[in-house]
Amino acid sequence: MNKIYGYVGKIARINLTDSTVTEVSTFNYVPKYIGGRGVCNKIFWDEVGPGVKAFDPENKLIFMTGPTTSTGIPTGGRSTMCSISPNNLPEQYCWSGIGGWFGTMVKFAGYDGFIIEGKAPEPTYIFIDDGKITFHSAKELWGMLVHQTQKKLEEILGKDVNSIVIGPAGENLVRNASITTSNDSVAAKAGFGAVFGSKNLKAISVRGTGKVQAGNVEKILKLHKTMGKPIGKTNPIQYKDSFAPRPHINFPVPGGVKEGRVACSYGCNQHCNLILLDVKAGIGGNEKGRTNVVNKCVGIYAYQMIEDSGWTPQMSFNTPQNDYAGCRFISGDGFTPDLSDPAINEGFLDRQLGDIVNYWDGDYDRGNVINDLCTQYGIDRWDVIIWYMSWLAMAKKEGVLDDIDFGLGMEIDPSSEEFMKRFLEMIVYRKGYYGNIFAEGMARAIRTLGMEKYGKTIYTGRVSQRTGNQQIIPISLESAWGHCCHWAGRGFQGSNDITCWLPIAIELMTSTRDAQTNTHHHDSFDYYLEVRNDPCHNPRVASSTIFNEHCAELKESLMSCEFQLPQIFDKDIESEMFEAATGIKMTHEEIYLAAERIKNLFRAILIRNNGRTRDMEVNEVYPILTYPDADGRTVSWEDFNHLVDMYYEQRGWDKKTGWPTRETYERLGLEEVADELEAIGKLPEK
Amino acid sequence: MSNTEQKYGRHIVQYPADVSMCAGCGTCEAVCGLIHDGVTSPSIKRIFLVRDTTMTEDMHKIYSCQHCVDHPCYNACRRKDSAMCLDEETGIVYVNQENCIGCRQCWKACPFEPKRIAFNLDKPRKALKCDLCRTRPEGPACVEYCQVSCIGLSDQPMPGKEEKNE
Repeated sequence: MNKIYGYVGKIARINLTDSTVTEVSTFNYVPKYIGGRGVCNKIFWDEVGPGVKAFDPENKLIFMTGPTTSTGIPTGGRSTMCSISPNNLPEQYCWSGIGGWFGTMVKFAGYDGFIIEGKAPEPTYIFIDDGKITFHSAKELWGMLVHQTQKKLEEILGKDVNSIVIGPAGENLVRNASITTSNDSVAAKAGFGAVFGSKNLKAISVRGTGKVQAGNVEKILKLHKTMGKPIGKTNPIQYKDSFAPRPHINFPVPGGVKEGRVACSYGCNQHCNLILLDVKAGIGGNEKGRTNVVNKCVGIYAYQMIEDSGWTPQMSFNTPQNDYAGCRFISGDGFTPDLSDPAINEGFLDRQLGDIVNYWDGDYDRGNVINDLCTQYGIDRWDVIIWYMSWLAMAKKEGVLDDIDFGLGMEIDPSSEEFMKRFLEMIVYRKGYYGNIFAEGMARAIRTLGMEKYGKTIYTGRVSQRTGNQQIIPISLESAWGHCCHWAGRGFQGSNDITCWLPIAIELMTSTRDAQTNTHHHDSFDYYLEVRNDPCHNPRVASSTIFNEHCAELKESLMSCEFQLPQIFDKDIESEMFEAATGIKMTHEEIYLAAERIKNLFRAILIRNNGRTRDMEVNEVYPILTYPDADGRTVSWEDFNHLVDMYYEQRGWDKKTGWPTRETYERLGLEEVADELEAIGKLPEK
Repeated sequence: MSNTEQKYGRHIVQYPADVSMCAGCGTCEAVCGLIHDGVTSPSIKRIFLVRDTTMTEDMHKIYSCQHCVDHPCYNACRRKDSAMCLDEETGIVYVNQENCIGCRQCWKACPFEPKRIAFNLDKPRKALKCDLCRTRPEGPACVEYCQVSCIGLSDQPMPGKEEKNE
């Protein structure tokens, strides 16, 4: 093969137990596994067997960039990490994406990624300095907040260094602890911050001054013009007298709001991050206690949550006339639709209102304080805002907290800034009985407290604006794998309809965590029209699910983001990005075959290491679907299993066990995987 | 003519945040390297993005050559007119890298902080300096590809405004 551009050729194997570094060739894994998550899967399959737990030294944390990273290809600046997740229930192999400048610098430092192994004997940070990797005591850093740690590392190593760090939550093995970059981008949902903590690893810093050569510069420049539509839209700081990031969140702010949009990573053209300037800090801040807060999707719900988010088919589906990249409408930065589109007469723009939930009223300071605390402690905002807070609000109103005293010296009230400060401090520092319980994450906390009362109690304060009926949803809000509802048709962001939440349920089913950070469901509007009456018996729902799953694999293997891909009417976009980076031409079919390979290898890991079967995953994901969605719709056990049958069949997976067949593995060039699974009795019978 | 225009020639400017705030994506640096050298690198660029997410409104600062009318970098070059060259017609000072010996006299002479001249990865490292993409019919690539139009040319009006950038 001719030279492969886009990669720098080396992956560092960094062993914390004995402070050694060796190198592995990236070309052992690419282009077959593309990069990012694909390469992580292959390394994990080869190196981590069954029986390893998240906090064991034998667990490995694999960090990978993709071929687009550092090339300047829009959205290619992101990276991915894979490991066993402590925030899954049960613990399973998992992934987490992250932005920031760190991944780009890793590549400029001469590495496509690195494998963290073992456990350091004492608090440690790693410094990757242009091809040289060294280990340093982090005793001075241990205990520091995230921003303090970033600042201290800059003081020690220089302003040209970029770091990913954990805060006290990661150090204290809080299961939903995050890893944070210098611009507050996080790898959070999988709880890999706690994996850092379990390895006594406080931070990884990098200085990279080398170069990356892409395969086709002209194509990169062209992608800049076509991917970020419209290029050159100005980004003025906005001065507003109310906070209104979504149609359903809007309240006046005394003193006003100063906001703008910032990039998450190198080459970003989406700017989905909303930065709020000069706001009240939760902890630290400047001499006046002020700071800036970066919000993505979930942070805005800390400010007000009276109503769940609404949905329009346009947010998930596209027409040739209204064809937008990924999740622009979710970022609140949407385009003006083309109103001559005939799809509009068929409901394309019809807003479907979200449920009234009545959790907490608008409070700008509280929202900023909570978001800042999450950043500074290094804990997943999602779990804090959507799970702890919503649960507290519902549980309190239903009276199930009446006999609980958290020992915080004040009444339980998630709408209170002061209460949330004390509550988060209790969790992050594992203070007392309840601090230790909630530090295990909501899924485990609910089970410890008692599932019947603290999980299954129905919240009576929720009303569907679509049907006028009281909604029936348990206060646990739990969907599957120890994660809470997300675009699930009920619970949080539960306003999408069955054409959307049903494939999302399948995507969640084959995952190990909430998959909606990279698999917001998208398709063409004609899919919506075709399947909406009887989705469980329409094979197009299965194929649409598979398409979205493959898009997700490519987003985190090539490296792109949820706001950019998929582009429904430009199915060659991933091939174009790959060719621009590597110089290798791949057809749409070839690159999707690589995505299928990556997905099936992920599946093989779950089957071998975590005992994944059809029974396990269908039983995991189905219960939440028995609660009515915002339209009052549910799905029966029989119908759901019919859809699962169609999905498995299209995937080439055995319908009884859910395991891929030998033919499927071999078609994907995974013969050795089939052999190993056969040897342990985990290939389906012929 | 303002004092600024007398002192500096046509150059890249960063707009105030209320016109367009830099999003910090680094596309300006990336396309600079791609257009001139076919690569991306923190070492190979002629425009400098300094990221800062602390409590300022102009969080991310963009610096590039101001094209001083008295061109001290050109004057200081040991291989003047061979390495550091002057385009008499436009007043643009540019580097002919083949002849640069990496002596850094131009860098020392640059009156700005941070310096507006970088050095590439060759041995010896050779000077890199903004030449406003003088051979490119479309003009400076950083301006053309900026995702948020937060930079422009000093003799062009700011987006949405009539007056020139100062």
